[in-house]
Amino acid sequence: MKEKNRQDNNQEELLRGTLDMLILKTLARGALHGYNITERIEQGSDGVLLVEEGALYQALHRLELRGLLDSEWGVSENNRRAKFYRLTAQGRAHLKRTARRWERVSEAVSRIMRIA
Amino acid sequence: MGWLHGIRLRLRGFLRRRQLERDLEDELQFHLEMRALRNREAGLSAEEAMDAARRRFGNPVWWKESIRDMWSLGLLESVLQDLRYASRSLLKTPGFAAAAILVLALGIGSATGIFSLLNAVILRGLPFPSPERLVLLWGNVQRQKIERRGNSYPDYLDWKAQSTSFEGMAAYSDDSFNLTSVAEPERLAGEWVSAGYFDLLGVAPIAGRAIAPGDDVSGNSNTVVLIGEGLWRRRFGSDPAILGKHLQMNGRLFTVIGILPAGFRGLSDGAEVWAPFVASASAADLAERGSREFPAVAKLKRGVPVRQAQAELDAISKRLEQAYPETNAKRGVEVAQLTDELVGELRTPLYVLLGAVGFVLLIACANVANLLLARSEARRQEIAIRMALGAGRGRIFRQLVTESMLLSLIGSALGLLLAVWSVQLLSKASPITLPTFVKPSTDWTVAAFAAGVSILVGVFVGLMPAYQAGRQGLYEALKESGARSGDGLARRRFRGALVIAEVALALTLLVGAGLLMRSFQRLSAVHPGFDPNDVLTLTAALPRSAPPPQSPAVATADPSAVVTGRQLLERLRALPAVVSASVASDIPLGAGGSAIFYSAEGQSITDAQTRPRAYVHRITPEFFATVGAQMLSGRTFSETEMEGRANVVVVTDNLTKRFWQGQDPIGKRIKAGDSASKNPWWTIIGVVREMKYRGLPENPTADPDVFLPFSDRQREVAILIRSSQDPSGLAAAARAAAREVAPSITIYEIATMSERVGRAIERARFAGWMMTIFAGLALTLASVGLYGVMAYTVRRQTREIGVRIALGASAGDVVGMVIRKGMALVSVGMVVGLAASLALTRLLHTLLFEVSAVDPLTYLGVVTALGAVALIACYAPARRAARIDPVTSLRYE
Repeated sequence: MKEKNRQDNNQEELLRGTLDMLILKTLARGALHGYNITERIEQGSDGVLLVEEGALYQALHRLELRGLLDSEWGVSENNRRAKFYRLTAQGRAHLKRTARRWERVSEAVSRIMRIA
Repeated sequence: MGWLHGIRLRLRGFLRRRQLERDLEDELQFHLEMRALRNREAGLSAEEAMDAARRRFGNPVWWKESIRDMWSLGLLESVLQDLRYASRSLLKTPGFAAAAILVLALGIGSATGIFSLLNAVILRGLPFPSPERLVLLWGNVQRQKIERRGNSYPDYLDWKAQSTSFEGMAAYSDDSFNLTSVAEPERLAGEWVSAGYFDLLGVAPIAGRAIAPGDDVSGNSNTVVLIGEGLWRRRFGSDPAILGKHLQMNGRLFTVIGILPAGFRGLSDGAEVWAPFVASASAADLAERGSREFPAVAKLKRGVPVRQAQAELDAISKRLEQAYPETNAKRGVEVAQLTDELVGELRTPLYVLLGAVGFVLLIACANVANLLLARSEARRQEIAIRMALGAGRGRIFRQLVTESMLLSLIGSALGLLLAVWSVQLLSKASPITLPTFVKPSTDWTVAAFAAGVSILVGVFVGLMPAYQAGRQGLYEALKESGARSGDGLARRRFRGALVIAEVALALTLLVGAGLLMRSFQRLSAVHPGFDPNDVLTLTAALPRSAPPPQSPAVATADPSAVVTGRQLLERLRALPAVVSASVASDIPLGAGGSAIFYSAEGQSITDAQTRPRAYVHRITPEFFATVGAQMLSGRTFSETEMEGRANVVVVTDNLTKRFWQGQDPIGKRIKAGDSASKNPWWTIIGVVREMKYRGLPENPTADPDVFLPFSDRQREVAILIRSSQDPSGLAAAARAAAREVAPSITIYEIATMSERVGRAIERARFAGWMMTIFAGLALTLASVGLYGVMAYTVRRQTREIGVRIALGASAGDVVGMVIRKGMALVSVGMVVGLAASLALTRLLHTLLFEVSAVDPLTYLGVVTALGAVALIACYAPARRAARIDPVTSLRYE
């Protein structure tokens, strides 16, 4: 498994970075549990972005271990025990940085697309 | 910071692994249920909704695994897992674990204990800066052999002026200072030192100043003194105004100029006062080039080897010899490393003991390796199953080594406790006075040693069993039942080798211990030439004279209290239970007495190397009766000879044998110095048998001792009292009686004569006992090991033995067979051990007295003892073998 991971490193890095940014952005307005996050991303992108759910949880745990997210068990809207994630101060700063970079890159890409 | 946070989270996760697991499970389950709920809202049935949710999610097991991986602590986690597994498996066999841990604790504990002594004495070094450059300079003289003496002040000044190898040089000599200007007089140890002394030793006063070159000029009437912090606190209540005050010591006035830090005790390692060297004697005495009084301490310049300094001083000595042939003929200098002087003689015994505990540790390791091997065989199936389930060989290997490592770590923790405790006990029980700067303690070096040893032991002990376990065929192991499987050749060989090694090591230690004990026996059997039983000895410092009246800070002692040694003797003789008593200039084995050259009347003049020399002691008539010396002919002094200071002498028989062999020595005459000198002739009135007066087991030189009438001018006198009761009970009474005679008398060095004799040979006794303890430990461990292997072998061969019995072998045959097998290993071990002993015990020869390192009696005794113990260790398993029932043995699994 690990071998394969290393081979696809670059591609995954990019995807992972994007997914991380989307998660952080989604949580910027308040704590949510995993399922909420999938829904928000899907709805927010009008169903364009379909989140791979396993990868989402992997990312949540990774971000938690990096200290960008904090988690807490709470009660969901339908009265079930659910794990809620929240941005930490560090996570907020990270989001700001990546968002800026993303805007620059995407602007640059769309400029080229327009010219061509 | 992020990674630190991550490690903290992971650690918490690790400690609550089950919680983490459940949380992950719940989290994903919740997600699936939420998705299913939405699907049902979209119109699917409950079952379809869940299925769709699962499909959407992908493989939950795979994702869970990848998340778990993220949370894991990597290698640390698998090590911890191994440890957990190891402790669980050890707890399942607590008897085995306890035995192994105990054996390792004994081995590692004794090694660590001796190492901590070695660390304190040798590794930590002297408490002075760059100790490797400090040397002592000893004047020596070549007689039959080169004898070490002191230096004379003029020689010292010449060395200092003419040499270039040294950064600095200082004279010093230790002396006692009787402090009398205080309410309770006290005898203090001190040193006369020249100005550079404190710089050389890297110490500076905590108050006041050190001795300056100006203080160290002869003829300076104002004698200064520095005192130690301890004395300052003890006697002067840390009074800061002490500087500039006067102290009266030895009847002289000293002005306090400085206080030296606590812990500094001078090179004599007990000094509390320091005064300028030139004040130690009169100017005339100091100018005497022929005197041999004191050593000098010097510091080599950086990069100058001892050899070079020695060569330079040899050249200077040559020049002095030419310039002053009268005094300096055959005089040289020995440059001796200070470390060697202070702790050199402890080195050999410590290395020998370290070697001994090393052997004990090896035996302990062999025992535990053997236990582990047996255990890994019993666990063959378990291991095979784990391998079948996919555990790699490396993993199994690591697992088993982790287990032995765990044993060894626990063992060494226990051992460290054992070491701390036993070293404390040892330094209390030890008769060997270590230099005060040697403080055996458990510092980081010792802890690191224990840790290092335990890791080595863990690997060493676990390696073979683990290797064996990893090598076994999976198929065979699974096929065979654990107990029935045969004993592999490699394992049998390994076990045999362990027994051989244990026996060889134990034998070597036993030989060492035997030699040291025999040597001690020989030492105790040496007759000192006097009777040490029932004699109390002490030294008294008598008040010298009234202090000068103009001393400001001095509590004046009673000026009428000027008493003589013989007045004190009269009072002591009146004590109950006193059989006889004597005053003397010095006590046998008390390191006193001074040497003189003498001439025997009518004997030819001899050259410098064989010039007759004798040690002079001044005594009162009852001396010989009191010490129990054997008067061979003639008589002791009479009272009139004492009063009149008659020119009579009592000599030891080695003097009369040298000059008047076969003649009656009574009436012959000797004199100090050349026969042409103006000294009076002394007439020999008595001859006593030679005594070990100056050292046990042998006097340092073969010179005779001569006894002259006691002089009442002497202010520091030795007192010997023979009692009809236990002499140690007399000490308090003697002290009180002395105080009655004069309150300012100080009494010290109280000891019975037997204690003095004991002290002279206590090193030998101690070394012998230490070695015996370790050898005993080795013997016990080795016989337990032998027993273990034999018992195991018998258990393994139950079926074979059963068959033999069924075929008609008698109980005796079986016992014989097992014992033969065991003793075959033992005898190989003995041969190896004997060879090792012959090679190694030569290292002991400096510690031996009148015992050859190849003493046949010791070897014979050790082989017999070891053989007997081994036989017993083999006999128990042999008996068990003989009792095997052939019927059950065939069914035995």
